[in-house]
Amino acid sequence: MAAPEVHHLFHNPIADHSFSADRKTLAIARDTTVELYGKVGSAFKLKDELKGHDKTVTSVDIAPNSGRIVSCSQDRNALVWEPSPQGVYKPTLVLLRINRAATFVRWSPSETKFAVGSGDRVIAVCYFEEENDWWVSKHLKKPIRSTITTVAWHPNSVLLAAGSTDAHARVFSSFIKGVDARPDPGVWGERLPFNTVCGEYMNNSAGWVHAVAFSPSGDALAFAAHDSSITVVYPSGPDLPPKAIISISTQLLPFMSLIWNGEAEIIAAGYDCEAFRFKGGVQGWQLSGTLEAKGRPGLGEGREESALNMFKQMDLKGKTKDDTQLKTVHQNTITTLRPFESSGAAVKKFSSSGVDGRIVIWHT
Amino acid sequence: MSIIQQHTAASLSDAWRTINIDALEEDSSVNFDTSTLHPALPEISEADVRQINTQVRQLLRGGDAEGALRGSLEMPVYNGSDLAKETHLHTVIEVLQSIKASEMTPMLQRIYGTPGGSECLDVLMKYLYKGMAATSAADGSSSAPRTPTRMTPQQTGFSQVGGRPGGANESTGGAMSVLLSWHEKVVEVAGLGCIGRCMTDWRKV
Amino acid sequence: MSQSLRPYLQAVRSSLTAALCLSNFASQTAERHNVPEIEAQTSPEVLLTPLTIARNENERVLIEPSINSIRISIRIKQADEIEHILVHKFTRFLTQRAESFFILRRKPIKGYDISFLITNFHTEEMLKHKLVDFIIQFMEEVDKEISEMKLFVRFSPPNITCNGGPGLTDITQLNARARFVAESFLTPFD
Repeated sequence: MAAPEVHHLFHNPIADHSFSADRKTLAIARDTTVELYGKVGSAFKLKDELKGHDKTVTSVDIAPNSGRIVSCSQDRNALVWEPSPQGVYKPTLVLLRINRAATFVRWSPSETKFAVGSGDRVIAVCYFEEENDWWVSKHLKKPIRSTITTVAWHPNSVLLAAGSTDAHARVFSSFIKGVDARPDPGVWGERLPFNTVCGEYMNNSAGWVHAVAFSPSGDALAFAAHDSSITVVYPSGPDLPPKAIISISTQLLPFMSLIWNGEAEIIAAGYDCEAFRFKGGVQGWQLSGTLEAKGRPGLGEGREESALNMFKQMDLKGKTKDDTQLKTVHQNTITTLRPFESSGAAVKKFSSSGVDGRIVIWHT
Repeated sequence: MSIIQQHTAASLSDAWRTINIDALEEDSSVNFDTSTLHPALPEISEADVRQINTQVRQLLRGGDAEGALRGSLEMPVYNGSDLAKETHLHTVIEVLQSIKASEMTPMLQRIYGTPGGSECLDVLMKYLYKGMAATSAADGSSSAPRTPTRMTPQQTGFSQVGGRPGGANESTGGAMSVLLSWHEKVVEVAGLGCIGRCMTDWRKV
Repeated sequence: MSQSLRPYLQAVRSSLTAALCLSNFASQTAERHNVPEIEAQTSPEVLLTPLTIARNENERVLIEPSINSIRISIRIKQADEIEHILVHKFTRFLTQRAESFFILRRKPIKGYDISFLITNFHTEEMLKHKLVDFIIQFMEEVDKEISEMKLFVRFSPPNITCNGGPGLTDITQLNARARFVAESFLTPFD
């Protein structure tokens, strides 16, 4: 397995990151700005700063086809940044109508809508209204009882999964007349008017939901919660109990993000600062190991210390080993995983970002 | 006439400043219904708890410590009176104290390997923390842990509850070291995730 | 290290490591605010079950976790009146200088001698295992220091008052000693 590609951008947390379709532009949510990095040789260099928010930017997403960037922040706003032919980005404020922090944003696969999670206990589903030349929103409200931490789109751009701090993962319909084509009936439901709740799931040991994701086919849902678990739900049809709900309680610290790699593999990462692989299917799932190469070259030899250095350490700090560096690539919590390079449903490479200011591109 | 004179004693007091106005609004986040954070829990009566206690003791006498441990962990008292919870805690601690240090890890590994074993160890962890909290709270009312629900206004009939931990006070150091060594062993087997689940879980023992 | 201290500190270490899984979380009650939820206590669902780790009835640690902050309170061993005074002097000295400590809470919570408040901003800036090390080291050293200060008082015979408690001059000396010790604790974050 090839070594991961590490880009240490700065010493601040990266709240979220997103690559453009050509993988040459990288958008980073850093403090109150969105930073755009361009690929120069093998490194990423800062090329633009999008300033428009006045509180922590919580999430950023680049639409792969249109190149539009959407960002949201704890200042309660979301902005759509439209690229001009000269490469300058012009922001448009979105009419979110929320009174608390905006926490998470993602474009739908159709790119005609995006969903913004918020601390106002609503999800704003936003779409462009031609006659007013404005991004407006409709609220998914019931039965959300706490801050939305994450959202994920179904491939059909109508179903939306959301996780929240009330320990529930839910699947909603975000069907908007005139914007969406009527979806085909599937395992999640047949008729799907706006705000239909197609599923509501919670683990017995509760825990805030940090991440949700539909499988590539859209017929299964996985979520990660603060009880260090991963749960996979296989629905069987409208108004029927799910075929299977498989919950794996791990020995690890909680996961903050997860992605599917095909239908039979999930990659998750979080407070352990490394990514783990889960394998399984409708019969059952299990943790199959870490993606971190043990005894990675470069770390082992580089850390070999001279005797003089060792005695110096003992003298200064009273200990022989300098343990200020973790053995993992990321040096702090991983907060976002994203597919980087895919072929069909399989992910060949994925990217991770975390509190340590690093972007890492991994081979699966 | 100065406007100050128009104030009454009641309006001059600043007690109104301490009113939590958020709590008055039904839709406020302060009024989150925490019962939505756990599945429906069957109520376990004191009689049930005593019955488990008898069964567990029988198993212990018969030398089946593992069975006793499992038995005491498979029916945790999530929904029951304070007395039932207290009694069950004593049952669990009794089992823990009767198991030799060398047997702890192999026993935990066997339990963890079985279906539902992870859940069992989560329950054990909850009882370990409860055990440590209960014994340390027994000394001096000034240091009672911050549990808003436990005001216990004149609990008639349960006077022995208050008396019991006090009686066990002299050996708290010993009892604690048993709980601490179990804690260490459970973490070795079930990982930090087990502690995490003790914190997130709203099914409280 | 004594036989029962090791498992105690080990339990504190693992509990702290599990509890220090914090994320950036904006307030649900006050708009455009971001406050430590464990202090605000305005959203019950983002608070977790508090954990108590006790070595005996006089020594215990309370960990109160929430989504973006945790509060750690330590009850330091106080076997007698002198130790009680020493602990009080010592913690008072530290809390008065809370700003140079970053994670120290100015006021301990009821029933405990000293409290720390760690937020997601601390775990973003500092390595988590180092923060845990700091708390553990503090707990290890504080007992040692209190015992040493006690000896210090005992071996100054002219100043011992008749009832065995420390006299006024002792307190001044203790303050000097406490200052010295406390300052050595300030270094880890420099």
